[in-house]
Amino acid sequence: MQAEFRAPRRRTRVYEEYEAPLPVSRDAEEKSHFRAEFINQHVLVHHPDHIHKIHNQGYFGKGILSRARPDHSISDQWEQHEGLMLPVVTQSRYEELLSWAGSVLYAQGLDEDAVNQTLLGLSQPVDVEDVRREMEGGENGQRREKEVKEEEPGTEGGVCPQTKRPLDESKVEPETKRCNRSESQDLNPVCDLSPSSDQESDSNHDPTSDSDSDSDCDPDPLVPGPGFVLVSDGEEVREVRRCPLTLTEYLQLSLEEAFFLVYSLGCLSVYLNQEPLSILQLWQTFRSLRPDFISSYAAYQHFRSKGWVPKTGGGAKYGVDLMLYRKGPPFYHASYSVVIERVDDEFRGSGLRPFSWCSLAALNRITSNVSKELMFCYIIYPANLSEVELDSPACLSKLKVQEVIVSRWVSSRERAEQDNI
Amino acid sequence: MSALRWTCNLSRMWTEWTPWDRPQLPRGRKWIDKGPRGAGLMSCVTVTNMAEHNMTQSGEKFYNEILSPSELFAAQSRSHKLPVRGQKDFYPNDSEEQRQRLEQSLEEHWSLISEERVERLGNLVKATWIPSEKIVELQTPAGKFWQTMGFSARGKQYLHPEEALHLMECGSVQVFYQDLPLSIQDGYERFLSSSTVSLLQYQVFAHLKRLGYVVHRFDPSSEPSSYARQLNLPQSCNKERRQLKRKRSASPTPSTKSTSQAETQKESTADIMEEEKCSHEEDESKKLPDSDLKTCSETSDTQTGPADSGGGRTWWMADISGDQSEHQPASGSPRWHFSSISFPDLGSSERHPSCLFPPDPSLLPGSLAVGVCDITPWRSRINLRQVKMSAKEQKREMDRGRRRWDINRDKEVRRCRNWAEYHKLQARREGRRKGQPEHLWNREVTPLHDPSQPIPTAELLETISVSKSSNLLEGASRVKASDQWRIRFNVYQPDTVADFKKTNPGRPYCRMCVCSFSDPVPDLRAIKQMAVQSGDIQVICAVVDYGDISFYAFKDFQLPTDVYP
Repeated sequence: MQAEFRAPRRRTRVYEEYEAPLPVSRDAEEKSHFRAEFINQHVLVHHPDHIHKIHNQGYFGKGILSRARPDHSISDQWEQHEGLMLPVVTQSRYEELLSWAGSVLYAQGLDEDAVNQTLLGLSQPVDVEDVRREMEGGENGQRREKEVKEEEPGTEGGVCPQTKRPLDESKVEPETKRCNRSESQDLNPVCDLSPSSDQESDSNHDPTSDSDSDSDCDPDPLVPGPGFVLVSDGEEVREVRRCPLTLTEYLQLSLEEAFFLVYSLGCLSVYLNQEPLSILQLWQTFRSLRPDFISSYAAYQHFRSKGWVPKTGGGAKYGVDLMLYRKGPPFYHASYSVVIERVDDEFRGSGLRPFSWCSLAALNRITSNVSKELMFCYIIYPANLSEVELDSPACLSKLKVQEVIVSRWVSSRERAEQDNI
Repeated sequence: MSALRWTCNLSRMWTEWTPWDRPQLPRGRKWIDKGPRGAGLMSCVTVTNMAEHNMTQSGEKFYNEILSPSELFAAQSRSHKLPVRGQKDFYPNDSEEQRQRLEQSLEEHWSLISEERVERLGNLVKATWIPSEKIVELQTPAGKFWQTMGFSARGKQYLHPEEALHLMECGSVQVFYQDLPLSIQDGYERFLSSSTVSLLQYQVFAHLKRLGYVVHRFDPSSEPSSYARQLNLPQSCNKERRQLKRKRSASPTPSTKSTSQAETQKESTADIMEEEKCSHEEDESKKLPDSDLKTCSETSDTQTGPADSGGGRTWWMADISGDQSEHQPASGSPRWHFSSISFPDLGSSERHPSCLFPPDPSLLPGSLAVGVCDITPWRSRINLRQVKMSAKEQKREMDRGRRRWDINRDKEVRRCRNWAEYHKLQARREGRRKGQPEHLWNREVTPLHDPSQPIPTAELLETISVSKSSNLLEGASRVKASDQWRIRFNVYQPDTVADFKKTNPGRPYCRMCVCSFSDPVPDLRAIKQMAVQSGDIQVICAVVDYGDISFYAFKDFQLPTDVYP
C-alpha cells in the first residue's frame, strides 16, 4: 500500500530568497564553472563567488566556520558609523584577535620586536576618510597591501605550504574590492587565519578596528570591505580600526555533493595538487575513502533528480544518513529522514546498519518527535554487477531505488478514528 | 422455586496476566460493547437451592461453582471502579508513608487480579472443544458475538480456537471438553499451538479485540493473485463474475512482451523496429521507409562485404538483435519464406531507381498503408568514402591549406614536444572554446549534463535521474514466501461493526503480521513478501514484547518530483 505524501511544513520566518534550484545557468549567457580543491580527504571551495553560487543555488555544502551557510563574520552585530556599515567587536574581543595575529606572526618566525611593531601599527585608529579612500582606490589598496606584505618576506611563504599565486591578485578587479581581502586570502587555502595586513600595533592602544573579511555587501550604506571593524568598549565610544586578522571561510562539500556537481551537472572541477581530476579518478578516489560510497551517492542523486535537497550530516543530529528538504533548508523544515540500505538482487540486506526492533523503535520516536517521517531508501544491486563495472559511475544506471516509509500505528481507538480508511 | 443458576469463573493468575490485560473498562464511560460482554464484573441476583448449598457448607470447603446468596450479593455489590493510580514517586525514600502507599496499591492490584468473575449461567454459551479439527463447536445458540466472530459449517456453529479463548476470557462462553468445563489455563494450553495460533499471535488478537476491532484469520487463497490483479478483476466473493474485457491490442500477447523486452535493449535498430510494431494503428507511411532505410544503411555499414551481394536479403537481420524469433508474427500466420522476399539494398553501389515502391502489403503488420518513398536524400548520406586522390591532387590540397595559416607559428604549439602534448593542447583549447573542460569531457566518463547547453529544470532533473525507481511489488513474485512473515489476520475498523457481515466483510483496514521483539526487523525481502500477500491493503507488523505490543507499518513510497522553476 502506498504511503500518503504529507506536504512539507514551511518555516515561519524565511529570511532568504530563492535563487535557483541548481547551480547551472538556465540561460546561455552565463557560463559558470566552479573550482574546488581536494585537500586531506575533503573537498573545499575557496573562491567566494563560487561559494556563493554553489551554496545559494541548491544548498550544497557547508561553511567550515558556520552552522550551515558560510556566513561567518567577525561579529554578529553590524552598525552604521558615519555612512559606513561596519561590524562591531568589543575591546576584549579585539585584543583577543590581536593576540591571535601575534601568535601567527610568531609562528612565521618573527621575533618579538617585529611582532610588537606589527601589532602596534595594526591597532592604530583609522580615520573614516582613509577608509573611504581605500574603498575607492580598491586596487590601490590592494597594491598597498601587496607592498605591505612584501615587507615581511617569507611570512606568507612560511605559513602556507603552497606557493603564492600572484595570478589571483592581479585578477582582482576594482569593482570586487569588497571581496579583495578574501581573494588575497586564497593564497593560503590551508590556514584559516592569515594576517591581512602586517602593520605593527601596540596592544596597549585601543585595538584598531578592521572591517570584516567576509564580504557581506550591503548596497547602502557603504561597506568598506574586509579589513575594518568598529571597536566599542562597552559604551558609546566607537573607533574604526583595522582588523588584525581576517578569517576566511571556505565551503566544504561532502563527497556526494562534490561528485554530483562534477558528474551530474558538469559544473565543478576538483583539483588535487593543481591537477584537475577526471570523473573516473574522482569516483575511484571517493570509493576508496568510503566503502559504501556507491549506495550513498546513488541515493543522493536519486533525491536530487526528484528536485529535493538532501543534506548529509544528519547522522549526528538525527541518527540518519540524509535529511530531505523541499527547496532548501531556509524555506521548509526537513520532511524526511532517510536511512540508506543496500540490498542485493534477492532483496536481502547486507546490513550496512543492522537494525533491531529496539533501535528502530528509538529512531522512529526521535523522528516523530522532530515531526519528520522516517524513510528507508534501499539501493538494489543487480546480481551480475562485476567489480569492474562498479569502478565506474556508469553502474548507477543499473541500480534501482526503493523508498519505504516506516511509521508507527497506534491501536487505541481514538487514533483509529482519526485515521481515514 | 425457580432458580437461576449462577456460576463463577475462576480467574487464575498467569505471569502475563497483568491487571491491564483485563477487559478494559473505560472509566466514566458506558461500555458499549458490540461484541461479547466484556466486563467480568457481571452480577445478578439469584436464589440457589439452599439445600444444595448447605450440604457443601459443612466441613471442608469444596470448591463449588454455584454461589450462595451472600456470595452473590457480595459479588454484585463490589466496586466496579478500577483503582485510581495516585501520584508517581520517583525514588524510594524509605519512609513509612511511602511504604504504606505502595503496599496499599499492591493490595488493590492483587485483589483485582484474584477477583472471581461472576457470570449468569444462563447467559453462558456452551461449546465443546474438538481437538481433532482444532475448532470449538457451539452447543447453545450464539450470543451477540456471532455477528463478527465464528463461522457456520455443516449446519452447526463453530468458533476458531483463538476466538473461543478470547470469549472464555471475556466470560461469554464456557467450553467443555469431555463433559468438563475448561479453565482459562486449559484454554491457553490446548487452544494455542503452532498449528492453530501461537501465543504471540493470540496476544495481538486479544489486544485488538479488546479495543473493538474485528479480527479475522487471513486466508491467502481468498486474495486475488497478482495475475488476477493485473487483469483488474473486481474483487468480490462471487466467483461467477464475468471477466472484464481486456483492451484490444492489435499485436498478440507474445509480441507485446517482446515489445517491452526489446525496448530495454540499447540497440537502436530494435527500437526502430518496435516503433514499427507499436505504431501500426496510425498511418506511418513516412516512418516505415525511414526506418527501413536506417536499418539498411546500418547493415550496409556493418557489412561492407556482402553489401555488393544484392537482393535476396531477409527482412530481419540475425546480427542486429538476439531474440529475433519473438519478432515473428506468432498469431498463426504461415512462416514466411524469407529467401523469396527481396529487401531493398540501398547501400550497395549499384544503380537504384530514385524512389522505392511500396512494399507488398502482406509483409506489413496490421493495416499499414505505405506509399512511395524518395530515396535520393538518404542515399546522399550513406556510403561516404574518402575520395582517392592522386599524389598531385593531394599536394594541391595541402598547398591550398598551407596558404591559409602555418600552425607552427603558434607559440603553444611550438612548446609541444611530441604529438601527445599537441593532442592535449588541442583538447584543452577545444574544451575552453566550448566551455567544456578537457579533464571532464575528454575522458571515458563524461558528465551527464553540459552546463554550456542550458535546459529547463524539469529536463535537467530527467537527465540526472539515472537510477530507476522501484516499487514494492516489483520483483516480489520472485521472492518465496517465508513462514515468519506470513500475514495472520485481517483487521476491520471498530465502527464498521454495526453493519458487519461475515459473509461479505469488505476490505479490511489492515492486515497483521506478528513477530517478537527479539526477532530481526524485516528487510526489504520481508517487506516485499508481505506486500505481495496483501495486495493493496497496508500491512502492519505487530511486535510483541512480553505483552506490550507496538505496531509498525512499512509502506511503499515514491517521492514526488518537485520542480521549482
